[in-house]
Amino acid sequence: MDALVIKNANAMPAPTWSWLKMNDTKIAVPAGLERDCQVTIEAAKDLYEQHASFEGAVEELQGRVDAARGDAADDRAIIRAAQGADAGAADLDTPALSAYERRTALSQAAGDISADFETGVGRDARAYLNFLAGGTAVLATQPGDEVEARVNVAAAPGTSSSASVDIVAAPDSTFDLSISLDAACPAGQQAFAGSTLRVFAGARSHVNVTVYLTCGEGVTCVDDSGFVLDEDARVNVRHVVLGGAFTATGLAADLRGDRSRIDISTSYLGAGEDVRDFNYIVRHRGKKTECNLDANGVLTGTSKKILRGTIDLMHGAKGAQGNERETVLLANKGVDNKTIPMILCDEDDVAGNHGATIGHVRPEQLFYMGCRGLSEQQAETLFISAKLEDAALTAPTDEMRDAVVRLGRALVPDFEEEIA
Amino acid sequence: MSTISPADTLLSVRGLTASVDEKTILHGVDLDVAAGETHVIMGPNGAGKSTMGHVIMGDPVYSVNKGSIFFDGQDITNLSCDKRSRAGLFLSFQAPVEIPGVPLSSFLRATLAGRESLEMKGKQFRRRVTELARELNMDTAYLNRELGVGFSGGEKKKVEMLQLLLLQPKLAILDETDSGLDVDALGVVSRGMDAYRKSTDGSLVIITHNTRILEHLEVDRVHVMVNGRIVREDDASLIPWIDANGFDTFEREAAAQLAAERETANDAAPARDAAADAVRAAAAGLGAGMVQSLRATLDASGAADASANASADAR
Repeated sequence: MDALVIKNANAMPAPTWSWLKMNDTKIAVPAGLERDCQVTIEAAKDLYEQHASFEGAVEELQGRVDAARGDAADDRAIIRAAQGADAGAADLDTPALSAYERRTALSQAAGDISADFETGVGRDARAYLNFLAGGTAVLATQPGDEVEARVNVAAAPGTSSSASVDIVAAPDSTFDLSISLDAACPAGQQAFAGSTLRVFAGARSHVNVTVYLTCGEGVTCVDDSGFVLDEDARVNVRHVVLGGAFTATGLAADLRGDRSRIDISTSYLGAGEDVRDFNYIVRHRGKKTECNLDANGVLTGTSKKILRGTIDLMHGAKGAQGNERETVLLANKGVDNKTIPMILCDEDDVAGNHGATIGHVRPEQLFYMGCRGLSEQQAETLFISAKLEDAALTAPTDEMRDAVVRLGRALVPDFEEEIA
Repeated sequence: MSTISPADTLLSVRGLTASVDEKTILHGVDLDVAAGETHVIMGPNGAGKSTMGHVIMGDPVYSVNKGSIFFDGQDITNLSCDKRSRAGLFLSFQAPVEIPGVPLSSFLRATLAGRESLEMKGKQFRRRVTELARELNMDTAYLNRELGVGFSGGEKKKVEMLQLLLLQPKLAILDETDSGLDVDALGVVSRGMDAYRKSTDGSLVIITHNTRILEHLEVDRVHVMVNGRIVREDDASLIPWIDANGFDTFEREAAAQLAAERETANDAAPARDAAADAVRAAAAGLGAGMVQSLRATLDASGAADASANASADAR
């Protein structure tokens, strides 16, 4: 059987030159894997019994958004261009649109939250992950609740496994979620582990999501998520991507409610021949919304990484600001590192910032480490070990910490001793 | 690998000529440091002091054109810096680098890995490092921070001292460890050097142009470097003299010697006269002991008669 290939995954909403080969990726699910979902969800029983749904929460928000919008028609030229036929010489103000602009204009004209909903990796990947999971667990809070839940996805060699989870955080509630994709599959064997997550963060709610990818050398991992934020909602996401031969991490957030905010912190390690593929899309639709994307990674061996970060400051998002930063340390000359920070803007009163610090280990740093007895190879190992150590020490659960230690043992001699 | 015979010479640098970007920085430098001794290398800015420290440690930026470096009986001239470190050499940096992403404690643990008699288990390591940090008045919170990132100048130097005490090298070269430090930090560095000497009986080569840091040290030998050459060697009595008179005399002497050498290359006799004139002028500000040494220097360059006249004038 041929491998299943999911095309157009982790796609940027506004593509750049196709010859750069950075617009999207293909996810090859290894052939011949048996579907065997090994997913455990630890959550209070109450969370399953709220009779809430992601769709219901979105519908409720849609009602309020429609009411606030009223019947005033949006007659901007870009909308006319997207909706209408070519007016010819009669309307020279109607601009020509790119495919991205047309999609965006139509989306704004419709104002349909459900239709606008997206996940970072994309529709096809989400469909496959949902198929693997076999069903979606819905965890919902009551207003004012403070709850936590843990999701663990394991996959034995020769199998594929995925979780599908919806989180509906009621107004003024706090939800802490940790997801672990952990499949100890050695090189030479194959497995697939994935997770797809939808989050509705209600008004003034706080949702904290931590995802650890600590899979072994033979594993393909896909971590897909999509967020909708109501007014004053606050979401913190932490992606820690350490293991897995190929990983695709995608997140899309719709900052629909005014003053909503999302902070995304990504920490990654690429070792050996690992491939790390990231796609972040944050759409600012509400006023005074804010996002911060902060990525920090270490690449060693001949690993490859691409990070796409799109901040879309859309029409109407007055006072919004989006920031993205990345720091990458290239600890080996054989690595392949690509980063595309993209800021799209269709509003005057907004701020978008991006910056990246990408660098090889400098000769003076190598000399300094050499003066303390570390060869170049030992220095490279030190960077790996430091990244793993930080992940182990800040792991939200003992199981996730153990998974990091297990991965560390495979990459760094005496790693367990180092963090003992 | 070849070896040298003097049993008590820990570091022996012979005729070391080194360059960077085809520019020669060190010109035939000799330096011998015996086990347990403390040597001081002084000189004006740009004299080549730090370069010498870096070349001895094996900084790949510099090329060794001539000469040899023997350490602990082994020829280390062509060894990489990590192997020199593991042989027992240590270089404390004037401006320690920052290494983002690597916590100080992880770095320290990595530097100990594989060193016989120094390698420690987790708890033992943490206890030892905490103990040393306290000894150096260093906040232990720094151990969990990225190496050097956001550290003040004083904290960076404390980290250098901490590594010196942790690694216990046979010979440590301290490259202007005192530069840019306030009085309190200077005290910490002095304490660190004391602790190193007491705990290991190791050798120290202190590169500085500030004699204050030497106040509490028993110095065996002082070397003055000017323009990439060691122009003067003496015991610790030279330190207060330098404190009072600075390096001008040595710079003039070096300039004179250089001029003499150039003249000699063209015409031996006129060169000797020129050197004698220059030295006579330079000697006017020197004590008798200094002039004696100057004469010895000139003897070596064949200007003995001129030097004798200079000596007589000075008296």
